[in-house]
Amino acid sequence: MPDFSLTPEQESLRDLARKFARTEMAPHAAECDRASRFPEEIYRKAFDLGLLNLNLPTEYGGSGLGLFDQCLIVEELAYGCGGMTTTVIAHCLALAPILLDGSPEQKERFLKPIGAEYRLAAFALTEPSGGSDPGSMRTLARRDGDGYVLSGEKCFISNAPQASLFVVFANTDPSQRHKGVTAFVVPRSANGVTVGPDDEKMGHRASSTAAIRFDDVRVPASDRLGPEGGGFSLAMRTLDHTRTPIGALATGIAQAALDHAASYSLKRETFGKPISEHQAIQIKLANMAQAVQAARLLTWRAAWLIDRGQKGTLESSIAKCFASDAAFAVADEAIQTFGGYGYMREYPVEKLLRDAKLTQIYEGANEIQRIVIARELLRGYG
Amino acid sequence: MEIVVCVKPVPDAETRLRTAADGSTLDIEAVKFVLTGYDESAVEQALLLKEANPGSKVHVVSAGPPPRTEEVLRASLALGCDLATWVEMPPGVAPDPVSAARALARAVAAVPHELVLCGKNAGDDEAGVVAGALAELLGVPDYSAVLDLRWDAAASRLRFQRSTEAGVEKWEAPLPCVVALQQAWNDPRTAKLPAILKSRRLPIAKVPPEAAIPATGTTRPTKFELPPPRTGAKLIEFKTPEEAAQKLVKVLKEDAKVFP
Repeated sequence: MPDFSLTPEQESLRDLARKFARTEMAPHAAECDRASRFPEEIYRKAFDLGLLNLNLPTEYGGSGLGLFDQCLIVEELAYGCGGMTTTVIAHCLALAPILLDGSPEQKERFLKPIGAEYRLAAFALTEPSGGSDPGSMRTLARRDGDGYVLSGEKCFISNAPQASLFVVFANTDPSQRHKGVTAFVVPRSANGVTVGPDDEKMGHRASSTAAIRFDDVRVPASDRLGPEGGGFSLAMRTLDHTRTPIGALATGIAQAALDHAASYSLKRETFGKPISEHQAIQIKLANMAQAVQAARLLTWRAAWLIDRGQKGTLESSIAKCFASDAAFAVADEAIQTFGGYGYMREYPVEKLLRDAKLTQIYEGANEIQRIVIARELLRGYG
Repeated sequence: MEIVVCVKPVPDAETRLRTAADGSTLDIEAVKFVLTGYDESAVEQALLLKEANPGSKVHVVSAGPPPRTEEVLRASLALGCDLATWVEMPPGVAPDPVSAARALARAVAAVPHELVLCGKNAGDDEAGVVAGALAELLGVPDYSAVLDLRWDAAASRLRFQRSTEAGVEKWEAPLPCVVALQQAWNDPRTAKLPAILKSRRLPIAKVPPEAAIPATGTTRPTKFELPPPRTGAKLIEFKTPEEAAQKLVKVLKEDAKVFP
């Protein structure tokens, strides 16, 4: 029989994240959203408490959590602020390829400093011409002596303005299309690396996002992750590990939207009674609660499968896609429950809709997720 | 210094409390038990003393039923306490203050203890009995409502302040003694994630309660009631202050009958 109860250990991890989200993150969420401010002091506190390097093994100074436990934490953090949580998961996303294909020497060199003090990393895959089609990647890595020379541009890179280290995907042999994609670790201090201005975003405004340009950046061969041409597979394996936490992030946003709507419905009166006593609102709340619970359970299941060593491609795509669509729908209904107030910036729910929107787009747009889901599904019938 | 801290599992203030069907106990099915303000201050004070006096050890002790008592002990270990002892009561049995003090005194007496710290009172029943009773049973003096405790090694004296209605008193005292801490004056730390994980694997010494103590204690609550819902609020709508004043006077005279 499946067991949906958390262990006491998991409950205490969740409680830590919950307390941090509600006392450290949520009180600053509206202000950071309005001012598009990157609250470094909050991320530093998260680092101190072990809430930043979630997937970094303890031997490198991280928290070394499995995917399920990461998801428990990410959901709680996102309840406090989706944007701040994006900074955390974008950082973990950048660590994943080093953990997957880095040599012991590379892990020691790149990951030890990340566990030792507050530093952010960024995952640079997406390019202006498209993020979901690595085969057409235009960033090139030309062989030169005992190393490579990188040139090209990446865009929409979360944490780029603050990161001290980038994991960059570049093509070493464009004629091979996606089979020529190779991954490199590039320090921010490398000559020829230019980070653009912060992007003005619709939501997740407490996280920062920018383009990165590489002008003939020299990268030693010792900083290549895995073999030449192994980058596409590495990117896909990375995303298999990091897609599920997006489901958790979306679930946190959805739960916040439901909580706001339900509490408001008990206080707000129309036609002489609280709107929670009108069936129109009850039906909304019931639908929202179903979406939140389904999103959480799909996320939990995908994380549980992956922790048990399964690939979980189908399940993690379903979790990410369903939870992000659910978050958008639940935030939308929360605004509708608030009526005109919900549309006002003074109230917290419009931010949730803007934050939920991104979860349908990043780490594989939901259209791509559906292609993956259909492909995995049809395999079972072929 | 050998420091012992006594803590009590208390319902989380964010939990919605309900009375059980019998009316004389709380429905604890969905209640989360946590360390609360006074005890958090006591643990924090113990850790500050340990940090300031190298070689010190902090031993946390609690008396109560599973699973709540184990949880507050593990929470204390995650914060940095070195050792834990659990006087294990039967499931569902929470000791009354005097029984708790007797159980704690027996456990404390069995381990090295120069300084015993407690919260001034528990965050739930606010009885404030345990620290005094514990000191009496251990045969040492006790000081309550204490802030800002320091160990003056040169003089072999504790130096501390007591918050009283008349102001703040400055004290010094020799060891051993029991000190009951005021709440949250020292900004208790938050346990870090790796420490939380590690605390789950640390040993907790279990001791049985003394057979002679009735586990339910010598006192027991006879009835719990939720406060009645508040009614009778009246909102006065007005356009000018004069109108507001007139309407308020009318309400005070005719409805509330405060004035004839």
